Amino acid sequence: MALAIRRTSDILCAARWLIRRDCRVLSTLPEKAEISQEVVVRRPAGRRPIANEAVLESRHIYPEFLPDPNPDWRNSLREKLERADMLKRRSQIDIPEFYVGSILAVTISDPHAQTKTTRFVGICIERKGCGLRAEFTLRNVVDHQGVEVRYDLYDPTIQKIQVLRLEKRLDEKLLYLRDALPEYSTFPFDMDPEILPEGTPVPINPVQVKLKPRPWLEKWERQELKGVSNIEEHLKGKDRIRRELRKTPWEKYDLMKQYRKTIPIEDQSEIWAEVHNQLQQLQLSRKKMARKRTFTAPKPQLG
Amino acid sequence: MKHQILFLSKTIFQNHYNKVTPLSRFLSTQEAIERRSHLFTLEKKRQAENVGRIEKIEVKYKGVPNDCTLVMNKGISTPYDCARHLSEWHVDTSALALLDGTVYWDMHRPLTENCTLELQNFTVAEPQQVNKAFWRTCSLLLGACATVAFKDTVPVQLHSFPGPDIRSGSFIYDIDLPTLPDWKPTNQELYTLSAEFVKLVRQNLILERLEVGEELALEMFRDNEHKTKQIPSIARNNGKVTLYRAGHHVDISKGPMISNTAQVGRVTVTSVHKLIGSQDSDVKQLYRFQGVALPTNVVLNHFAYSILTERAKKLNPARSPISFATDKEDFEPESIAAKV
Amino acid sequence: MNQAEVSKLVSKLRIKVPAEPRKLRSPKGPEGRIDKLRKTVTGLIKYERIELNHNRGDEARQYAERLISEAIRYGDCHKPTMDVANYWLLEKELIHKLFKVLVPRFENCNTAYTRMLNAPRPLPSRVDDKVVLELRGNPYPSLVNRQSNNRLLIQNVLLDAAKYDYRQSKYAEMAEKIGQREEAQALEKKSKEPTKESSNESKTPEI
Repeated sequence: MALAIRRTSDILCAARWLIRRDCRVLSTLPEKAEISQEVVVRRPAGRRPIANEAVLESRHIYPEFLPDPNPDWRNSLREKLERADMLKRRSQIDIPEFYVGSILAVTISDPHAQTKTTRFVGICIERKGCGLRAEFTLRNVVDHQGVEVRYDLYDPTIQKIQVLRLEKRLDEKLLYLRDALPEYSTFPFDMDPEILPEGTPVPINPVQVKLKPRPWLEKWERQELKGVSNIEEHLKGKDRIRRELRKTPWEKYDLMKQYRKTIPIEDQSEIWAEVHNQLQQLQLSRKKMARKRTFTAPKPQLG
Repeated sequence: MKHQILFLSKTIFQNHYNKVTPLSRFLSTQEAIERRSHLFTLEKKRQAENVGRIEKIEVKYKGVPNDCTLVMNKGISTPYDCARHLSEWHVDTSALALLDGTVYWDMHRPLTENCTLELQNFTVAEPQQVNKAFWRTCSLLLGACATVAFKDTVPVQLHSFPGPDIRSGSFIYDIDLPTLPDWKPTNQELYTLSAEFVKLVRQNLILERLEVGEELALEMFRDNEHKTKQIPSIARNNGKVTLYRAGHHVDISKGPMISNTAQVGRVTVTSVHKLIGSQDSDVKQLYRFQGVALPTNVVLNHFAYSILTERAKKLNPARSPISFATDKEDFEPESIAAKV
Repeated sequence: MNQAEVSKLVSKLRIKVPAEPRKLRSPKGPEGRIDKLRKTVTGLIKYERIELNHNRGDEARQYAERLISEAIRYGDCHKPTMDVANYWLLEKELIHKLFKVLVPRFENCNTAYTRMLNAPRPLPSRVDDKVVLELRGNPYPSLVNRQSNNRLLIQNVLLDAAKYDYRQSKYAEMAEKIGQREEAQALEKKSKEPTKESSNESKTPEI
């Protein structure tokens, strides 16, 4: 009798555990037990930066979690609230890791469309802004017409962001694609997502685009672009002279200019200590979901 | 200059006032002060003339900005003159001079032989002696302001002040007010005393030092019965009495004193307590005037300063000059060693 | 709202950094500005204490702090840091000083590496504000004369005595309270003792 009771209690426990597990995937709130496990990483009394490199690496994946470096626009409370909102939004939809140069498919709700949703595929040419105002721009050529759509990353009308090809390009911004031949920014809308094996670093696409002849939207020759192959073909003598005159070789040594553009390690590690665990958890749950999908996909074919 | 004119006009006015009111006493307080000051001036002049042929001495100065040697006049030049050779900062801040590393010398006392000289201000590493000189000067000035603060109908007989004890929290002057047997000052009266003190301090008076013989001292303090009684015991050792003068006020003290009254910053006269004399002393009662002061440029939070003033209101535990009849014979002002 | 640059990691400076860089007047423009600052930073590293105008001193201080913090963070085996040091230090023997002398000196430092103090002006005149810029731990005598901790200063003597007085009065109060309590206890005991005795007496007959 006692044994039977124990059995039943065991089963109950297991069931409860299972339920909890499942719920966690769906629920936005992390469990209480896990909150207590979160250890706030405190810097030691001596203010030497003990940089947890692994934690700091997330700055590449989630750059919008870092605040604006201009001290006049900093507000710790607003930043904290924004980060909490961003995490909430991220628990609602899956905002994947992507970089400038990655090819994305974004589905937004659109009341005027027939299916009430619009899907757009394009290459990410720019990421801007921080906090809830982070944004990215997709570019594609549709019917021989260049189209760019700017999305807010945390826009509530976004239903799905899918990374079709995860890669980086040679430059920080790909705005020069506007003046490049259309083939470099043409991507089919029915492109299949390419899945990278786990643990591989993000590949860098070394493709160099060809620019159309001038006029250009910007003076690309002055920007020291690596991803453009034929820039010299379109330059005249005076352009080269002016490029030489406008060069600022000292700027890479301007230590304070760099400093004013970045968030120092100490500030960063505070921010990552706050959000890293939750981000990690979201990522794990996302992976689990993805695995489930891969298992369930073949079934209809068998039937 | 303005101060001086004001002061002069005030004294003239007071003199005029004295003449109008009939007084039973031989000398009014004001006249006594001026007479004493006049005698002081004459004696000082006489002593300066006595120096005779001017001899040179070498004074080796040590300290900021750099060590140097000054050639000064023997018996005429003072450390104050040396400071004037250095800079205005030295003149303004130096409160005491330290000769040969051992002897503390007044800033306005002529140097007599070759020596090394260090100027001491209130922020030196070991300011005990400077603090004592400051406290002592405050006592002297308290006596000065008490003599001028009262109306001419109230005779003020300064008695003495004990040696400086900073830890006691207040500087003291024991004063005899024979016509006021039971006086308790109101707050307003204490404010007035403090204001009088500040007025005195703001005149930027230098503190002059003079050693005089016993007879002259007795002559100067003829109208003050307490001082006349004290002078013989003070002069017992070498027949000399050391006098200090601030403005017109002359008082007996062993010294040393600080250089200038401008070095006294925040000051409050906090309380007046009555001291009852013992049975066999010939003075029945005295009033103990107490105050607290800080040097200029000392920045102290008003709350901290209020703690100091509150504490200075309590009766200072320094020995009363009239309660110990047995000690009375060999009582000397400043004979009590301060225990700092 | 700009996104922070993430390609480079920098240590936080322990000095206040204004939001905008200062312009230093120079016919060569921004390059001339950097050249001026290079000279100043080189001078600072070389002499460890220099006197100069406030604007230039404040700018140069930030660059010197950054240079030292980079040197501490990356050490002398890091090519880009070496390049930066080579650019900023016009006298090349100072590169050795930076990595061999200053880095060990400031490695465990919890404060800023430099100190900037206002220098006196001769008169209230219209000359620029002067400052003294120095590296911490330099061999020169200290410029600040902070003596407010000297317990022998008159205000400290007075405050200490007041504190002592206050403590004594509190101790006296406590002692009085304890005395009263003890008296009360003693009284209670006295009042209790007779009852005990009576109970004992009542017991003894039974035995």
